Amino acid sequence: MSSRPAAEIQLTIDGRPISVPVGTTIFDAARVNGIPIPTLCHQQNENPVGVCRVCVVDIGQRVYAASCIRQCESGMTVKTATDQVHAARNTLVELLMSDHPAPCARQQQSGDCELERLAGAAGIKESRFPHRTTPRGKDDSSAVIAVDHEACILCDRCIRGCDDIRDNWVLARRGKGYQAGIAFDNNLPMSESSCVSCGECMVSCPTGALTNKRVVGTQLGEGDVLDPSELLGLPIFQKKRHFKAGEIVCREGEFGSTAFYILEGQAEVFLASPIAHVKTEGSSKGFFSKLQSLLAPREGDRRSEESDRPFIPIDASVDLPYDSPIAELNPGDMFGEMTCMSYYPRSATVRARTDCVMLEMLRNVLDILQRNKTFRAQLERNYRARALDSHLRSVPVFKSLTQDFIDHLRDRVELLRFNPGQVICRQGDPADSFYLVRIGFVKVSEQRPGGELVLAYLARGGYFGEIALLSGSPRSATCTALDHVEVVRIVGEDFQLMLDRFPEVRQKLEAIAQERIKENLRHTVQTQNVPVDQFLAQGLMEAQSLLVLDLEKCTRCDQCVRACADAHEGVSRLVREGLRFDKYLVATSCRQCRDPLCMVGCPVGSIRRRNTLEVIIEDWCIGCGLCATNCPYGNINLHPFPAELDDPSHPGQTIAGVRVKATSCDLCHDHAEPSCVYACPHDAAHRVNPPEFFAGMLAQPAPRTDGS
Amino acid sequence: MLIDHTHRKWFLGSAAALTVAAAVYVPYALHSPQGPRGGSGIGLTFGTTGFLCMLFAGLLGLRKKFPIWRIGRAQTWMRGHLWLGLLSFPLILFHGGFHFGGSLTRLLMWLFGFVWISGILGAALQHFMPRFQTAQLPMETIYEQIDRVRGQLAEEAGQLVEETCSALEGEVSRASERQRAVSASAGTQGGLTVASGLRTNQQVSVQLRTFLDQEMRPYLERAGAHTARLGQSGQAQKMFQQFRVLLPPDLHSNLDDLENICEEKRQLDKQSRLHRILHGWLLVHIPLSYGLLVLGAVHAVVALRF
Repeated sequence: MSSRPAAEIQLTIDGRPISVPVGTTIFDAARVNGIPIPTLCHQQNENPVGVCRVCVVDIGQRVYAASCIRQCESGMTVKTATDQVHAARNTLVELLMSDHPAPCARQQQSGDCELERLAGAAGIKESRFPHRTTPRGKDDSSAVIAVDHEACILCDRCIRGCDDIRDNWVLARRGKGYQAGIAFDNNLPMSESSCVSCGECMVSCPTGALTNKRVVGTQLGEGDVLDPSELLGLPIFQKKRHFKAGEIVCREGEFGSTAFYILEGQAEVFLASPIAHVKTEGSSKGFFSKLQSLLAPREGDRRSEESDRPFIPIDASVDLPYDSPIAELNPGDMFGEMTCMSYYPRSATVRARTDCVMLEMLRNVLDILQRNKTFRAQLERNYRARALDSHLRSVPVFKSLTQDFIDHLRDRVELLRFNPGQVICRQGDPADSFYLVRIGFVKVSEQRPGGELVLAYLARGGYFGEIALLSGSPRSATCTALDHVEVVRIVGEDFQLMLDRFPEVRQKLEAIAQERIKENLRHTVQTQNVPVDQFLAQGLMEAQSLLVLDLEKCTRCDQCVRACADAHEGVSRLVREGLRFDKYLVATSCRQCRDPLCMVGCPVGSIRRRNTLEVIIEDWCIGCGLCATNCPYGNINLHPFPAELDDPSHPGQTIAGVRVKATSCDLCHDHAEPSCVYACPHDAAHRVNPPEFFAGMLAQPAPRTDGS
Repeated sequence: MLIDHTHRKWFLGSAAALTVAAAVYVPYALHSPQGPRGGSGIGLTFGTTGFLCMLFAGLLGLRKKFPIWRIGRAQTWMRGHLWLGLLSFPLILFHGGFHFGGSLTRLLMWLFGFVWISGILGAALQHFMPRFQTAQLPMETIYEQIDRVRGQLAEEAGQLVEETCSALEGEVSRASERQRAVSASAGTQGGLTVASGLRTNQQVSVQLRTFLDQEMRPYLERAGAHTARLGQSGQAQKMFQQFRVLLPPDLHSNLDDLENICEEKRQLDKQSRLHRILHGWLLVHIPLSYGLLVLGAVHAVVALRF
């Protein structure tokens, strides 16, 4: 990840000289330097609008500036905590409090009304200003969210959450003056509006204007467990399911839309798919050697850069050991979050070990529950207590961490959630943390003059942020949540402590960072050297090896496809169709794309790129086929193998069946030449290195291109 | 297969072999008291060599059945097939001294002539046709998929016509996003956004549906159908031009899409025709070749034994 040379400017905040990239707001500059500025209308995941003015600071001008929207300027002197600034802020808070029904619903139930907290901190008990005389009313129509217009401070956080973050565009402003407020659609009652009850507004609201209905009543004391009856009593859709011992709850590879929360009993989570990759080799040597595909575990067939992860990441609070992919789930554990939130296939099979009672919930329920502080805290407690250990150790570079250090981290790490599209860290930002992906997919991209270049997609177990922390430079790439992402954040100090205490971790991380930097440089050089737009537009540049068919020689006899099928037991990994570049047809065969979409969504993170950019499918592929669906070029296939499956009608017994494994073109590496090329009677099929092969053409005017 | 400079070695080899054969044959034919005969030593040598060349050429079919056997690259076999097959004919002519002989040998020679000429025709077709096909068919697909693609085109055309008619009839909720954006500026009436930006015209809508049902769908669903009006590029253009006059400009892009669908269908039909030409000669060449090899073997056994 080569860092972009970001222009820096110098300013002073509260007497401290500070250097930040151009475009940074005063609020952010202060935040990253540990200087707190209070705010109400601004939160990190939303665009600042500067309506509450509580974040005002003195920048030496005639009027105070709202720090959330005011950008830093070179030589600027900012004062955030003078008496005058405090007095101005307190007046603003007092004015807001004059229209606020203190204590509001949020303050009563969870004590976290941001306005009342600010008022409390400023010692404001009663506003000196008269209260509003015209009531704005309440909206109790929604089954999930309570709307109290009286408590609304018109900060617009809910509107931005609804429109910008969720892209629902339901909320907007209504009325003027004292009647100003928020409105659902054309000022409809919430239940009659197009609101999808995603809860974003409720989470964004700093006061009691939008609160969880009844869910707020389930706030429990420290150490208590969540009472299932409370959950079941929620006015939202979920099912209490009973499973008998041995019964399958869900199967790996199936598509679903629900998550499970275990109330009683124990379940086991395991992978039924064989833990091995597809290997194609000659059954005998000599002229009549026939290729055959078989499953080979990494011990028997070690491929270059094959992962040596001891754990397989799944969509549950635990990871599965590679050698024996089975684990136990207990009451209070949740699984299927990624399936539920992002509709990915189930990553593992879950079977009741004892008679179990589970709550099966849809996305909106899970979303709301996860926003419930108690429930969330309980999940986090479970994670810290049971899963952090194996999660950290599942990453090969952290294998050597000692138990005492993990215990040290246990209460210090933060679990952060991000919505699809939300930026976790931005290129050029100062580096303050290291992140480990717990749930979902993170896109790592770099802004280049020619546009955005996707460097990687990180699944559970992936990590980022180490390069900037190691080098002390600003973030070299932007990391964005592709779906519902949860990351474990280790703050810079702890990260440094880890590096100091475990030199081998530092060594490994540095080696990996160097490798990543080299790989990105190589990519940059490739893309800079070839200026042909169409060549790039077709994604040919990223390819290291392409199967091209010279259409002026090809008689469309399909011998190449037949050969591929013969070489892979009837499953062709080649389709004689694709994009045309000049007289060449770029046939469907893995092209190691710039934006490897195949990697997005793999529920067990078994598909990834080698440093050479070639795709590798790890042994724990469960054959769900999502990568094959996601590949825009149809370059990933599913290869069937005979297997023993659970008999659904006779639990505990097995029947003969078929399991599939994802695979892509392996270039028939057991032979000197790929079968498709070898079998072409017309000298039309060639495996080529695109930049070399097309070098002559690229110097000429743009060739004709056609989609087919 | 493009017969280009990469075939030079095979060409030179075959030419040299033919020259040597001719150099042997001419004095042999001139000085042989009874004229050149297949049963003589030299005649048998020509016959055996020619038959072996034919046999090698015939083995290409078998080679193709086992594409992954590492018994030489398929293109080497193909070149051998082409050049040795070509060479075999003069060798067999030398073998028979340019006489067709009795009924079996006459039949054999006629058969060989057909095989040889069909092979040359095939080679010529495979030399020129791929280039022609590549240039003429930018929307080419896999031949076996043509029926499926045709079905998809018919379905797509149906959706487009439905969308267009919906817009024409003012049912904006069924029109496309873009059209809705156009009509949104027109305001609302009775809670429904009215497509005043789009001309509400029931009559045109009926005409368009009739066009789909009577012209377009039958054309798209039927293989070939190049005699249909839409099968002719010029006529199709005129038909769509008429609709362009009737439809508001905002819907012209839908008409463009429909016209493209017809163009793709024309290309699919053309691809079918070209594919049949490109591979059709094999229907003559292959059975005759097998017949030739069998009869050739019979001839060899009969001639040597009796």
